[in-house]
Amino acid sequence: MHSDHVISVDGLVRTYSGKTAVDNISFNVRKKEIFGFLGPNGAGKTTTIKVLTSLILPSKGKVDVLGYDVTREPLRIRRRIGVVQQQPSLEMFMTVEQNLDSSGFLWDVPREERKKRIYFLTDLFGLKDILGRKGPELSIGQRRRVQIARELMHDMDVLFLDEPTVGLDPQMRRTLLDHIKERARNGLTVFFTTHIMEEAQYLCDRVAVIDHGQILACDTVEKLRSKFGKGNVIEFALAEEGVDLKEAMASVSGIDAFYEPQGQDEPFRVSADDPEAVLPRLLQMLFTKGLHLKTVNIKESSLEEAFLRLTAKREAKT
Amino acid sequence: MNSIFKLLVRDIRGSFLMSPLFLASMLVQPLIYIFVLGFAFSGTITNILAAGISMSYILFLAPGIIVSQFLTGGVYAGASIWFDKRFGMFEQILVGPFTKTQYITSKILSVAFQGLAMAFLVLLLTFPLLSGLSINLLGILYMITAWMFGSLLFGSLSIIVSTAVKTDEVLNVVFNIIMPPLLFLSSVFYPLDSVPELIRVLALANPLTYAADFFRAGLLGLQTSYLGYEVLLLIVESLGVFLLAVRKFRRIKI
Repeated sequence: MHSDHVISVDGLVRTYSGKTAVDNISFNVRKKEIFGFLGPNGAGKTTTIKVLTSLILPSKGKVDVLGYDVTREPLRIRRRIGVVQQQPSLEMFMTVEQNLDSSGFLWDVPREERKKRIYFLTDLFGLKDILGRKGPELSIGQRRRVQIARELMHDMDVLFLDEPTVGLDPQMRRTLLDHIKERARNGLTVFFTTHIMEEAQYLCDRVAVIDHGQILACDTVEKLRSKFGKGNVIEFALAEEGVDLKEAMASVSGIDAFYEPQGQDEPFRVSADDPEAVLPRLLQMLFTKGLHLKTVNIKESSLEEAFLRLTAKREAKT
Repeated sequence: MNSIFKLLVRDIRGSFLMSPLFLASMLVQPLIYIFVLGFAFSGTITNILAAGISMSYILFLAPGIIVSQFLTGGVYAGASIWFDKRFGMFEQILVGPFTKTQYITSKILSVAFQGLAMAFLVLLLTFPLLSGLSINLLGILYMITAWMFGSLLFGSLSIIVSTAVKTDEVLNVVFNIIMPPLLFLSSVFYPLDSVPELIRVLALANPLTYAADFFRAGLLGLQTSYLGYEVLLLIVESLGVFLLAVRKFRRIKI
């Protein structure tokens, strides 16, 4: 393992009852780095985190965290990490304050230090007014904030965050991401999974795009954008519903890729090197088909576009 | 600080002291057995003969009921693992600086502590009824042994059950099926000298009988002829079941 690598994964395979959740992935995470694991639901992100935190064993491959093998020395790893899991977790019969204090106690944080950290974290995550409330009295968002604050009570070398912003409002989401950035500046290494591109783009130094258990690309956000998010994106929505444009788009020249809406209220997306040249041709095609444009927008190449392109490429291969 | 101790403190804080209603409910059942059942039968059964000694029914019953607290307390070990699973704390603890063995050992110690507290409270509340006690140092040692190994055995058993079932609803059903025969086919409520042979055989295969007999030997000086075998079986079985629980738990799928 390279001396600068805090996490080193080589050929990791993890299967559940014969089904492959993680399929031969390899990557490294450097010290003080915020490393993003970006992928849709069911891509293998949580399974990877579970292996890295030694909660489950790898089926194949070598995984080292902080220089220790996850299979042979799991406890040495767990003594130096923090984990915010995707699933909610709470000491339901304890108050917010007791939840945080109990976590600090389990991690050998001295009593006086625990008090200071509880003060700081409850202030940061807006929990000050509900310190005396027990689990059942908290909203889902409040429980999530307690869960995150609790995992930040102890000192650690690596912080694993599995979709930590799920259930948080935008303001709290930003507070959390900024706090993680600050901790990373102070020496913390962060492994962060998300399916939200903006988060990865805002937070991560490097990103691995994972889908169906395989890493499709791994690089800095900038490099992924320039490599796979080639050109820019035209986003448009139609006044008509349920329109299939797949065939018609083939007649519009200059288009690199076309993506249909992934859900309701989602726009059509067109990737192109020169969107200004493509847009008139696109409008002409829509006019010929008797379709009416509701909105249109030209966006700069983003991680999202790179992600869409990568996952689309994989779909095409399979 | 010791990891098991930290987990023990966490368990007692979270599941015991934080829920005073639970504490009260655990205390009500044994008191009802002793006061209602004990007094109701005292008119019918004026004296009971156990291990050759004649005594009031309530004096015979009370130690048995106290020991049954180790069984009901033990069941709580499995249930509390399910609480941890339901509220996400199970995985959270296991990604912390703890091993699975430390985790279940803390659960068993927690139920042992709770069982002891319950037993002490029941003994204290029923003390005025228990005239004729002859407790000495050896007797205290007997009672401590019954408490330690009884808690270990029933705590481990409930952990094995909790690892085998898939949902907490099934866990409740299993406990509801297992508990009555364990409780009633034992020497908790009646001496085995005068019961039908089949019940006697079944009760002698029940580890709650060993714990109850041993506790009575400590509290009342009642020595059955097979007490030595019983204590040996209790210790061997409890250690065996504990090792099995550790083995099963270490293989639990997450």
